[in-house]
Amino acid sequence: MTARPHPVLLRLAVVSALLLLALTAALVMGLSLGSTQAGLDAIIKTLLGRSPSEPMLQAIIWHIRFPRVLLAALVGAAMSVGGLVFQALLRNPLAEPYILGISGGSAIGAIIGIILGFSRFPGVTVMAFAGSMCTLVLVMIISSGQRILKKDALLLAGVMVNAFCSAVIMFLVSMTQDARLHNIIFWLMGDMSMTDLRQVGILSAILIPGFILIFCLSHAMNMLLMGREMAISMGLQLKTITLTLLVATSFMVSATVSQCGLIGFVGLVIPHLLRMVLGPDHRVLVPACILGGGAYMVFCDLLARTLPQQGEMPAGVITALIGAPLFIILLKRSNR
Amino acid sequence: MSMKLIRHYTAALLMAATVLLTENVAARQVTDGIGRQIHVPDNPVRVVALAPSITEIVFALGQEQRLVGIARFSDFPQQALRLPQVGSYIQPDIEKIVALNPDLCIAVKDGNPRVLADRLESLGIPVYAVDPLDLGSIMTMVLQIGDLLNAGDRARSIVTEMKSRMDRVRERVMRAEHRPGVFFQIGISPIVSVGKGTFIHELINMAGGMNLCADYSAYPRLSREQVVALSPEVLIITTMHQGVSIEQVTREWSGWPQIPAVRDGRIAVVDSNIFDRPTPRQVDALEQLVRVIHPELFKDSP
Repeated sequence: MTARPHPVLLRLAVVSALLLLALTAALVMGLSLGSTQAGLDAIIKTLLGRSPSEPMLQAIIWHIRFPRVLLAALVGAAMSVGGLVFQALLRNPLAEPYILGISGGSAIGAIIGIILGFSRFPGVTVMAFAGSMCTLVLVMIISSGQRILKKDALLLAGVMVNAFCSAVIMFLVSMTQDARLHNIIFWLMGDMSMTDLRQVGILSAILIPGFILIFCLSHAMNMLLMGREMAISMGLQLKTITLTLLVATSFMVSATVSQCGLIGFVGLVIPHLLRMVLGPDHRVLVPACILGGGAYMVFCDLLARTLPQQGEMPAGVITALIGAPLFIILLKRSNR
Repeated sequence: MSMKLIRHYTAALLMAATVLLTENVAARQVTDGIGRQIHVPDNPVRVVALAPSITEIVFALGQEQRLVGIARFSDFPQQALRLPQVGSYIQPDIEKIVALNPDLCIAVKDGNPRVLADRLESLGIPVYAVDPLDLGSIMTMVLQIGDLLNAGDRARSIVTEMKSRMDRVRERVMRAEHRPGVFFQIGISPIVSVGKGTFIHELINMAGGMNLCADYSAYPRLSREQVVALSPEVLIITTMHQGVSIEQVTREWSGWPQIPAVRDGRIAVVDSNIFDRPTPRQVDALEQLVRVIHPELFKDSP
């Protein structure tokens, strides 16, 4: 070993530092802006904990906005990493939990859980996980055995399963005739307006171990991208690793869906942008997705709650408005 | 960074706790409309009404000087439009509510999300929930809110007036010989009616009509075919849309002369706000309904 640091380590450090900066900036912006206007100096003082004279601003920033921006960061990170893992495993740049119907499946599970009166955690989360595993299996079965058009077959199967999931969701929603109905609809579109710290705690307890696990497997994901034969010849436990990654990612996606509904396209936009800039090394991409996805989601959530004159819109609307056109562009380019 | 955040957070928490303690000095314990024990100030002066119905009742009690915020769509009385809005009652803006620094929020159980009440209470803002289900519980709710805002006398006189007007309606309806079949349609498209267990179902009964959708519960969706099969004698349509005229609605139904109500021209458009909102104005709705369902009872004494 020479005194010079490993090139990957160096890149990792630089990229992480830059994206951490972006995430911090997004978090500070998320804490500073909202439906209540306050002077810049008052906000800065409150952020630095130096304004005991303004308990109201304190409460708004630390009790209402703080849990919310943390949740947004966690959700964005989970969705981005989810997309990255699916893209590597399925060797398909268009794979993403939302597009493949995995999110839809967990939403079905979660809605059934809500209708049955389960608590958010663990009841609804477990139901969401069961739903996501079912759709995952379904997508794999539909798309298997059509090796020639592998990429398109997977996407088509995903689209079909997703459409089916939407129909089931609408079916369930129209069958429930009570006041929870509106809540379910807002929640479906990705609502984070009522977040509290307990919710953030539960979600980070699930997601952070997941992030670590996936980071540990990032080298294996590089191998997987080189092809099956290559990976096997390098002594990789192909089946174990694929299964671990699939289950871990689905579980992370289910946990986020059960906490704040369907937030689509984040898992597509962020991994693609970062891959374009940083190259295909997953050892760098995994942490970059965690930090960058977090920053992106905090920003989208900020738009969602400041754009409307009255009230707010679900964050899922913003992510889809940005993400869906980008998806079309990527699809066009990949078909060339 | 994160350690610092936790420190600030703890500081903020402690501060909120002290705020809570100081504010609770002049507080009393009450049971709210859904049986929860809560602490409310003796004389609340910064009240947020989390539903249009609550806004109306606070105004009716003459206590509007206590209001600092109201739910969106609170459009009655006109003066309410001047107050700051805190989001709709289904999707309230918690940040705006907290920014108004209220000492009491009044919520409705059916509609306001439960999690909102929990979040507000964790921030030291008491939330008094009411649960109006019928005219009887509307009167209870008026008395409860009157009590809360130290306007008990005004509340009791509102309730007395409501009761006597309802009695007059009952007397008049007793003279009716026939209970016409009523189809009550909420909005124009899709066709949504009212089943049992709703305010409007109760109003139709009291006004001497027979709700043709009484076999359904809550708010059933029907096809035009089903409405024709029910052959209503009276067709009543509420509408939230501005500028929907009786002509327009009549034209919608005119293609079905088989329906007795269409044949006899007994179609009425009524203001959805007084029918949907659990407020004392439901008595206005009741009186209006009797005129629509039993016009013959008003021939001699209008």
